[in-house]
Amino acid sequence: MKHYYDEALEEIWMLLEREENTIDRVQACLERTGGAASLQDLLTAKYITLDKEKVRFTGLGEEHARNIIRRHRLAERLLADVLGMTEVEGQACKMEHILSEEATDRICTLLGHPQECPHGLSIPAGSCCRQPKETLDSLIITVDRLRIGEEARIAYIQTGSDERLHKLVSFGLHPGAVIRLHQRFPAVVIRTEETQLALEEEIAREIHVRRKAEA
Amino acid sequence: MGLKIMRMRFRNRENKETINGHCGLACRKCGGKGARLRFAGFGARSQPSFTSADATSRCSAGLRRLALVGNPNVGKSVIFGELTGRYAVVSNYPGTTVEVSRGQGLIGGRLYDITDTPGINSLTPLSEDERVTRDWLLHNRPEAVLQVADAKNMRRNIILSLQLAEMGLPMVMALNMQDEAHSRGIDVDASALQNALGIRVVPTVAVEGSGLQELKRALVAPSKSSLIVDYDQRIEDALSEFESILGRSDGAMLEDKCGVTLRSLGLMYLCGDPWLTEWLGSNYGTGKMEQLEALAQEVRTAYNRSLDYIIAEQRLKVADGIINRVVSRRTATQSLGERLGDLTTRPLTGIPIFLAVVYLIFKLVGQFGAGTLVNLIETDLFGNHILPWLSAIIKDHVPWPLLQDALMGKYGLISMGLTYAIAIVMPIVGTFFLAFGLLEDSGYLPRLTVMANRIFRLIGLNGKAVLPMVLGLGCATMATLTTRILDSKKERLIATILLALGIPCSAQLGVMLGMTSWLSAGALVFVMTVVAFQLFLVGWLASIILPGERADFIQELSPIRWPQISNIVWKTLLRVKWFLAEAVPYFLAGTFLLFILDATGGLASIIRLSAPVISGLLGLPDRAVEFFILGFMRRDYGAAGLYALARQGILTRHQMIVSLVTITLFVPCIANFFIIIKERGLTTALAIVAFILPYAVLNGWLVRLILSIGVIPL
Repeated sequence: MKHYYDEALEEIWMLLEREENTIDRVQACLERTGGAASLQDLLTAKYITLDKEKVRFTGLGEEHARNIIRRHRLAERLLADVLGMTEVEGQACKMEHILSEEATDRICTLLGHPQECPHGLSIPAGSCCRQPKETLDSLIITVDRLRIGEEARIAYIQTGSDERLHKLVSFGLHPGAVIRLHQRFPAVVIRTEETQLALEEEIAREIHVRRKAEA
Repeated sequence: MGLKIMRMRFRNRENKETINGHCGLACRKCGGKGARLRFAGFGARSQPSFTSADATSRCSAGLRRLALVGNPNVGKSVIFGELTGRYAVVSNYPGTTVEVSRGQGLIGGRLYDITDTPGINSLTPLSEDERVTRDWLLHNRPEAVLQVADAKNMRRNIILSLQLAEMGLPMVMALNMQDEAHSRGIDVDASALQNALGIRVVPTVAVEGSGLQELKRALVAPSKSSLIVDYDQRIEDALSEFESILGRSDGAMLEDKCGVTLRSLGLMYLCGDPWLTEWLGSNYGTGKMEQLEALAQEVRTAYNRSLDYIIAEQRLKVADGIINRVVSRRTATQSLGERLGDLTTRPLTGIPIFLAVVYLIFKLVGQFGAGTLVNLIETDLFGNHILPWLSAIIKDHVPWPLLQDALMGKYGLISMGLTYAIAIVMPIVGTFFLAFGLLEDSGYLPRLTVMANRIFRLIGLNGKAVLPMVLGLGCATMATLTTRILDSKKERLIATILLALGIPCSAQLGVMLGMTSWLSAGALVFVMTVVAFQLFLVGWLASIILPGERADFIQELSPIRWPQISNIVWKTLLRVKWFLAEAVPYFLAGTFLLFILDATGGLASIIRLSAPVISGLLGLPDRAVEFFILGFMRRDYGAAGLYALARQGILTRHQMIVSLVTITLFVPCIANFFIIIKERGLTTALAIVAFILPYAVLNGWLVRLILSIGVIPL
């Protein structure tokens, strides 16, 4: 498939996420994106259909779009969490076109099957997420899965509760902070700086950390 | 071995102590003028409004204002005690300073009005404590803010410093617990920190009194921090827009009004601070608010995360930059306290420790307090000396028999109400507070909640609920008051219900233990199993049915320390004083109601009407039911009555079991009922009683059925 379609499908996916998939919006958006296929091209290639005023994916189009978005957002996570880069957009835009399915799934596993990109948008699940085999050790895991006494850096915290996030951040738990797991049961106990915190498992599972490379 | 002897905390000053209401156990102290501060912040809805004008006019017109601000457990209260010459409680349980202590102190030859604000981790409020501190800073335009920082946890301190700097407040930092940090291999370069923050940083070890003279000198001339965080362009643009919307006509006035920078208000607003929004709304009208809301909305949509988080993250980057420059770490061996701390939270060692601690609390409170002390005070002191003496005086000097009765009769205010509160409940509550103080100062308290959280979450509660529940074994009335420490409304309600329903208070325990002499151990286990099962069942159902959320369990574990006995004794005395002020009126009101019911014949009618119903269902003699009703009015009567029946051999063993289950599940007593009204409102209180009364009888009936089938040979 040509990049020409990739870019267009990606744009439409994002418009769909925001429920802004009216024909006018899509058209305007595709015109703005340089080198993207036009609405007509997409129709011809059977990637989309028009339903009243809305643009919708066909089965084929949706699958392609999902894969592109998945590659893009996983690439972002890889660049941000593992390589520690702050500017990830440009690189991710290139990587989304070249990653094979196997490479994508392996990155996904390495990152511990993340559900959101660094910008907080959702990453479509792949086959590896649905039946995690864990043949490859994940580099990014949730804090409760560290070994007792192991230190790791927080990669990201993924939680639906703003209040919880506020609490954690005000204790100094934020991406980049080093934490050490003390125990898992009856509550997860971690330490950051000299502060010991007891957390419920369900909260601990929202804190994703990057393991230090084994010596 | 590297074992470090746990530090002893010495204090040789003869200071008077204040208590700042540990875990909401407020105490009316605050010295001479007795000002217990209440905060109503922005757009106060439920609390009486408290403006800065009130705050200053109380007892300190014209004094310079100094506020102590800091994270929880950094030694703020100790420094407060040193500065005011009054000693404030050092406690380890998070959320300690729920209310605000205040005092006066001489600094550099001038008298200051000094306020100790609740320990907080952020000035963008999401919690009540954060809001109280933030509001205080907004409304009181302090001449100086003293940030007390724990040298062990610099990141959290600096996050707070950055926010105080944004507010444009003149500040000084006390870099406290230097010694502890050092022994853990952490060294903080105070002068580098001073340069980075642009404010005076004074190293202190407050418990030993070191560094305090220099701190006082620094406080005379506090400075505004030169360090202002640069946020990303979008947020910076939004902040200037915020300033221009409010600043165009009356921005200066706003700064006049609250004494902090518009920039800091803008940041709080963007973070979605509901109290600030309300306050701005009432000051600026809907027009400006719509503009502001549109602005915030625009920024919000640009990020997929809460702005609170985005802003915090950018602040943290700056904080980490500073930490890299000022903090150095060596590897240090674990101290004894740390090792002990670990033992208390690991299941293998933690559970035995937990059980041992609960057993010791029970020994101290249930046996020594409720047994030995109560006997001493009630039977000997009150029964043999005070009451006969008072009774004689009243007979001689009070002319009307009715009034005599109201004071000294069967349901007299003195003979029953006061005696009950002071001779029975006070020793129990006093010994409980002693145990509580020990747990608190040794750092064990939060660890207790770790062990308990697993169990309590099943019934919709948080580990913290272990405290009121244990107190409930002493006095349910008191325990209901302490449900305030729970974070959500839902949890407070569940805890109140369970306390009223099934946690046997010392009087109930007394009967249970007393009756065991006629019952087998198996029967006792059966009773306890039924009650425990009901607690779980009702708690579990309540957690599903009642609306609202259970609060997250995120608990800071403070280090294990050697507690200071004098501190604990002071704390206990002040808490008992608080109890007397808070609960005694309810005991008196309950007694008086009972007196009226009795005098008008109402009590007799209630017993006459309900006894046949209950006795029919439970298969108990009418007299036993009379004691149930009396038991609600006056716990020890009910208990003693049943006990007497059992001793006379009127009750069969099955009847004893049925009555034990029923009386344990019954509403504790009228004082508890009044406290439930006070804490939860009349409707809720009536609903709770309307549920518990039939439910207790239903359980008694079921137990009777089960026993009569004979499946369980008891």
